[in-house]
Amino acid sequence: MVSPLADTSIGTGYDLSNSVFSPDGRNFQVEYAVKAVENGGTAVGIRCKDGVVLALEKLVTSRLLKAGANKRISTIDRNIGVVSSGLLPDGRHFVSRARDEAASWRSMYKAPIPSSALANRMGSYVQAYTLYSSVRPFGVTAIVAGWDSEAELPVDGQVGAGPKVGSGGKKEGQKHGGPFLYMIEPSGLYWGYYGAATGKGRQIAKSELEKLNLADGELSLEEGVKEAARIIYVAHDDNKDKEFELEMTWISSLSGPTKGRHEEVPKELREEAEKLAKKSLDDDEDEEEEKMEE
Amino acid sequence: MASVFSGAPPQGGPGYSFTQTPRAAPSGERQHGFYPYTDNGGSTLGISGADFTILAGDTRSTSGYNINTRYAPKLFKIGGEGPDNKGAQIVLSVVGFAADGDALKERLDTIVKMYKYQHGKNMTVSACAQRLSHILYNKRFFPYYVHAILGGLDEEGKGALYSYDPVGSYEREQCRAAGAAASLIMPFLDNQVNFKNQYMPGSGTGHNLQARQAQPLPQNDVEELVRDAFTSAVERHIEVGDGLQMMIITRDGIAETFTPLKKD
Amino acid sequence: MNHLPQAWGRPRDDVYGAYDHSHFQTSGPIQHTQSPIVTGTSVVAAKFKDGVVIAADNLASYGSLARFTDVKRLRKFNDQVVVGFGGDVSDMQYLDRLLNSLDIRENYSSSETALNAKNLHTYLAKVMYKRRSDFNPLWNHLLIAGLDGEDKPFLASADLLGTTFTSPTLATGFGAHLAQPILRRTLPDDASVEDVDQETAVKLVKEAMKVLFYRDARSMDRYSIAVITKTGVELHEDEKLENQSWQFAEQIRGYGTQVN
Repeated sequence: MVSPLADTSIGTGYDLSNSVFSPDGRNFQVEYAVKAVENGGTAVGIRCKDGVVLALEKLVTSRLLKAGANKRISTIDRNIGVVSSGLLPDGRHFVSRARDEAASWRSMYKAPIPSSALANRMGSYVQAYTLYSSVRPFGVTAIVAGWDSEAELPVDGQVGAGPKVGSGGKKEGQKHGGPFLYMIEPSGLYWGYYGAATGKGRQIAKSELEKLNLADGELSLEEGVKEAARIIYVAHDDNKDKEFELEMTWISSLSGPTKGRHEEVPKELREEAEKLAKKSLDDDEDEEEEKMEE
Repeated sequence: MASVFSGAPPQGGPGYSFTQTPRAAPSGERQHGFYPYTDNGGSTLGISGADFTILAGDTRSTSGYNINTRYAPKLFKIGGEGPDNKGAQIVLSVVGFAADGDALKERLDTIVKMYKYQHGKNMTVSACAQRLSHILYNKRFFPYYVHAILGGLDEEGKGALYSYDPVGSYEREQCRAAGAAASLIMPFLDNQVNFKNQYMPGSGTGHNLQARQAQPLPQNDVEELVRDAFTSAVERHIEVGDGLQMMIITRDGIAETFTPLKKD
Repeated sequence: MNHLPQAWGRPRDDVYGAYDHSHFQTSGPIQHTQSPIVTGTSVVAAKFKDGVVIAADNLASYGSLARFTDVKRLRKFNDQVVVGFGGDVSDMQYLDRLLNSLDIRENYSSSETALNAKNLHTYLAKVMYKRRSDFNPLWNHLLIAGLDGEDKPFLASADLLGTTFTSPTLATGFGAHLAQPILRRTLPDDASVEDVDQETAVKLVKEAMKVLFYRDARSMDRYSIAVITKTGVELHEDEKLENQSWQFAEQIRGYGTQVN
């Protein structure tokens, strides 16, 4: 995409307002929002066989910030998490709205919101901010991860267990639910992904994600955690940003470690993943040096 | 339901009498089927002395003939620091509807704590007493169904005791009993604290009789009076018993004691 | 055959009485719950030295009709709290949804400590008191069982008026009359809690459930029981009172008109 700033369209006025197209059919405000995202720390999501992982390169902006505090990956409902890259306050507002959507779905349907429905609603919400001159688009790209329960839904506080056969009864062996991953951009565009990346290091991260053959559905959640950590480390640019913290959350199946809930990756596992990530980086550097020597 | 369906044609024709059915809500006053109060029994009492105030209450909580629990305090420290009211100098006792009592205590406690945050000094007992009156009066059309007694030390260090009705009418007194056994305890207190119906021996007969002058009692005597009042009330009132909680406010702070009462 | 279309598909007035159309009226004062409709009976609970046992049967009655026989009246809130519900079942379901949304909001951030039984009791008591003050009560009597902030056993009650109290043993409804005296034999005061172990407490509560089954007409022999300790919540929702039978009733002589 050609930057509108470098374009001849500068000064034509089509970049001043939302809700006004340029003659060649572009909404420059949205494109500027994308720019804001491109400056954010890298965020990655991986949809694994038995769960989803979210990882974030949290750039340390000040030494005065307490290490490990100020978490950036948020819980939306018990089974859904969101990580975003771009303007932090915009991300906060996105999360707040997503929580409201999840809560209102529950009060309406007495069941957790499916990941797809949440992505759809948030997509629509973000898109609405591209339509009006009184607002600006979201300066974030958000990655939504969810595990839709494969279990029979226990309706909250239901009276009785319901009919055992026939209409309204249970079908044996019926499977639904599973891991889901969506990425929502400032335009409101959203797709479901096997692996998603956004922020500064998205290009490197995406190419790393492609190597994982996620579409085969072979990658386990634990491997996913390690890959996510490695990708954040690979995508990190030492020259530009010195320090960062790795933040990771995951959602497993009901039988897995988080029992279908969105939780922080346990400290031990995260540290092991980081150790492996650093090791693989060192190995790569060694290889390159060897090649240079040859 | 008019009758059980018999299958036979009803007498007096088919009678699908739609026009006869009511189509509007019945006019006139509607009564709520829900009564928002209950009486949790128990009794409290307070006596003030020269340099102390004692508040006491039994710890039984009842619903009708049931005992909810044998330990539900009716005495609460007001103000001070944190949830344990460290360093508090005021005690509130409430008896009647326990849920209202708890709500009232919570409100007064927050107000007294906020007062210290905002003004940097402790609320005086007299100020707190008037504030409590206002809280009760403001809810006079849906009252806190409690008899409150507030105790502490006044600005001169003398024992201060205030008693209230449920809608905020209040006065400072030497002693007051409230709750289920108030009518049993109060006459005893009149006689023993204010020396009512006591006369100076040998002062004569008829109009020459000289009433014994009331004077502040020493702390030990008051504690004994309180214990006697409650052990007697327990014998004669089924809603009083289980335990006696006392709070003694002196310039050194609030001392709290607990003595078992009969559990029958 | 009746020729008035309004009559088709409707209960016959001569059989069922006139239909009261005023129920459709939207004007007039706001009406609140005047009485419970589908109800659960007693909940009983007892503390022991490491935790709390709580039980309630699985019956929801519609008046004298045993309407639902597999209703879960114990609700696990988290690893340290169980709430037992007596009274109106639809209000129980409302509170259940309320607790669900509370739990979700509590878990937005993982670092803070979880709500304990004491916290939850304070919260629920305020909900109940607010609703009674609005003249719109939640027609329930709740027992909140679990651990307090210091991991000590906690047991407290909150009812439709917002009244609260705690005790080593508690029972709601009929249980307050029938079960509580039995429970108090073993646990008369706070000090006695230290002398009671889990096995004794469970046996005690089951004994109370048995008495309630025999003497409370709105009870049944299927029940739920939960034990809350430091290690978590152990909840069984389909227990059965063993070896219960009314056989003996036939042998009884000398009551009422039956004299020999």
